[in-house]
Amino acid sequence: MIAGVAVEALSVTLGAFGLKKLDFALSGGELLVILGPNGAGKSVTLETIAGFHRPDSGRVLIRGRDVTALPPERRNVGFVVQNFGLFPHLTVARNVAIAWRHGRDADVPLAALPVPHDLDGLLSYFGISHLAARAPADLSPGEKQRVALARALAGAPDLFLFDEPFSALDSATRDQLRDELKSFLRRLSLPAIFVTHDHDDAMTLADKILVMRDGAMMQSGPAAEVLQQPAGSFVARFIGVDNVLAGRVTGVADGLVTVAVGERMLRATVPAIRAVPAGSLFLNIRAEDVTIRPPGTPLSPQPGINRLEGRLAALRGAGPLVTLTIDCGFPLKACLLGPQARAMKLDVGSAVEVEIAAGSIHLTAE
Amino acid sequence: MAVKSMPSGAAAHSWRSRAAPSRPGALYLLCWFLGSVLVAFLVLPLVALALTQSGASLAGVAGMADVRDAIALSLEGAFLSASCAALIGVPLAYGLARTSFPGKGVIAALVDLPLAVPHTVAGIALLMVFGRQGVLGEPLQALVGLKFWGTIAGIVVAMLFVSAPYMVNAARIGFEAVDPRLEKIARTLGLGPWRTFWRITLPLARRSIMTGVTLTYARSISEFGAVVILVYYPMTAPVEIYELFLRFGLDQAAGAAVLLLIVALSLFVILRLLALSGTAPRENR
Repeated sequence: MIAGVAVEALSVTLGAFGLKKLDFALSGGELLVILGPNGAGKSVTLETIAGFHRPDSGRVLIRGRDVTALPPERRNVGFVVQNFGLFPHLTVARNVAIAWRHGRDADVPLAALPVPHDLDGLLSYFGISHLAARAPADLSPGEKQRVALARALAGAPDLFLFDEPFSALDSATRDQLRDELKSFLRRLSLPAIFVTHDHDDAMTLADKILVMRDGAMMQSGPAAEVLQQPAGSFVARFIGVDNVLAGRVTGVADGLVTVAVGERMLRATVPAIRAVPAGSLFLNIRAEDVTIRPPGTPLSPQPGINRLEGRLAALRGAGPLVTLTIDCGFPLKACLLGPQARAMKLDVGSAVEVEIAAGSIHLTAE
Repeated sequence: MAVKSMPSGAAAHSWRSRAAPSRPGALYLLCWFLGSVLVAFLVLPLVALALTQSGASLAGVAGMADVRDAIALSLEGAFLSASCAALIGVPLAYGLARTSFPGKGVIAALVDLPLAVPHTVAGIALLMVFGRQGVLGEPLQALVGLKFWGTIAGIVVAMLFVSAPYMVNAARIGFEAVDPRLEKIARTLGLGPWRTFWRITLPLARRSIMTGVTLTYARSISEFGAVVILVYYPMTAPVEIYELFLRFGLDQAAGAAVLLLIVALSLFVILRLLALSGTAPRENR
C-alpha cells in the first residue's frame, strides 16, 4: 500500500455543493474509474486530491505521505484533462520540459520512475521526438495524449489523475487512445484515478470502480463486482445495465425469488451474499442476457429459466449489433448480432419469445 | 480572404452546398456597402485634414518649438499613463477574472464609470481631489512635494482617469479566456502560483493586455477635456492645437493637428502590430 493512494473520509464544501465522506484506496498500478453524471462531484474529487480545494475533514495520502495540507505543486500528481490541456504558447519540447525548468523545489521527494529523465530520452520514449518543435495546435489527439503523458511524467508523479481526457473525441480515436493509455499505465505501475461518465471507459480501464451522485459515493469496489452486482438502480443504469425494472416480491421457494413485474411473474436467483429485499425492488437485466427464441421452438419448461411472450416494439441498428425493444407487458431491451436478427426476419409487430435465466436477473433494493 | 471573396456571388457559391439555393451574396453585399459607408466616414475627415497640408507647411509647424514640446509632452504623458494603467490595471483585471465575491459586479461597473462621465466633468472632479486644495493634492504636496497642477503628474492623472477602463476590460477578457485548467496543470507540475502566473497565464493573456495598452495609450494621447481643466500649462498637443486655433485660426491649428495625427497614428500602428505579433510558440530550449 505504500506505493498507493488512500482517501480517508474526505469531505469538502464548495458553496451549495459538497463531497461527502469519500473513502477509497488504491495500490500502485491500480486504476480507479470514478463514474457519475455531470455535477456528481467527480472533477471536484480529482481537484481535491490534487490540492485545489481545502477539505473540511479527512485525509489524502499519496505514497504514504499525508498531503492534505500541501499545495498542488508539492503533491507530485500528474494531471491530464479533457483535450489534454497542453500549453498552447509553448512548443512540445517546452511543454514537456516545464516541470524541470520552472517546477519542483529540490526538497520534494520524487518517485523513481522507469522512464528516461532527460528531454530527448523522454520524447523518444513516447515516440514524439519529431514533434519537439511543433505547436500543440498542430497535433493529432493521439500525439497530444503522448505529450500530455510525457509532460506529466517529467514532473515525476506518484499518482495520475485523468479528468475525462477522451470526452471530446470520436469513438474510434477514443478506443485507440484508451488502449494506449492502458498499456502505458501498466508499464509504469503507478496508481491512477480516471474520471468519466462513459461506462465504456469503466469497462475497459477500471480495476476498481467508484460511482458517485451528488457528491456522495453510491458504490465502490473491484470493477467486476460493481459491474455485475450494482448496489442500486442508479448504479445499474449508470454502468450500462439496459433493463432496470421495478417489481414486487411475491414469494421465495427453492432458491428462487418470484417477483411480479406488472402482470408478469419473473423468477430470480436468491442473491448469495445479500438478503432478499422485501416488498418492492428493482430487477437489473443486461440486454445481452435476454435470449430471443424463434417463435414456435418447443422447449421443456425449466424452473431456472423465465420464458415470456411479447411483441417486437422497436428495432434499432442495422450494423453488427441490433437492439430490440420487446413489449411483454413491460418494455424489455434485448440485443442480437446483425446476421442473427436478419435470419430471424424480425419486424416491428412480430410475436417473439424471450428467455431470461434466473441467474441473470440481479435484484437491488433501491 | 474568404470573406473578401464572398460578395462575388459565383465564387461564394462554388464551395457552398448545392442544396442551399439562398443567395448569401446579397446579404454580404449589403453588409459591405453599409460597412464602407462607416469606414469612409471614419477615414474621410482625417484624409481631408491631411490633404490641407503641404510638406513645407508641415516642416514649418514642426519647426515651432512649442508645438514640438507639446507633442513630446503628450507622448510622454500617454506613455506614463499606459504604463500606470498596466501596472495597476492588470492585477485588478486578473482579480476580476479569477475570483468571485459579492459586489464584484459593482466593482466592474465602477471601473467602467469614467466611460460614462463627460471629460470636462472628470476634469473638475479630479481638480477636487488632485487640485491645490484637493483631498490628495494638498497633503501630497505638503508631505512629498508631488504637485498635480502645472506638472506632467496632473496630465498623467487626467489621462489615466479616462483611459484606465480600457486597460482593465481588455486584460480581463484576456485572463478570462485563459483556461483555468492550464493553470491547475502547471501547479501539479510543480510551479507555484507566481511562476504559474508568469509562465502560463500572463503569456496567454499577452495579446489582450497589449490591446489594452494600445487602447489606453490611444485614449490618453487624444484626451483634451479632463487635461485642459486639471492642467492647462504645460500644454499637451491637443491643448496646444486648441490654443493655436483660438489665437491664430484654422490654418495654424490644422498644421499642428496633422503633425500630431501623424505621430499618434504611427505609434498606434506600431503598438497594434506588437499586440498582434507572434504568440505562436518559439523553440529555444
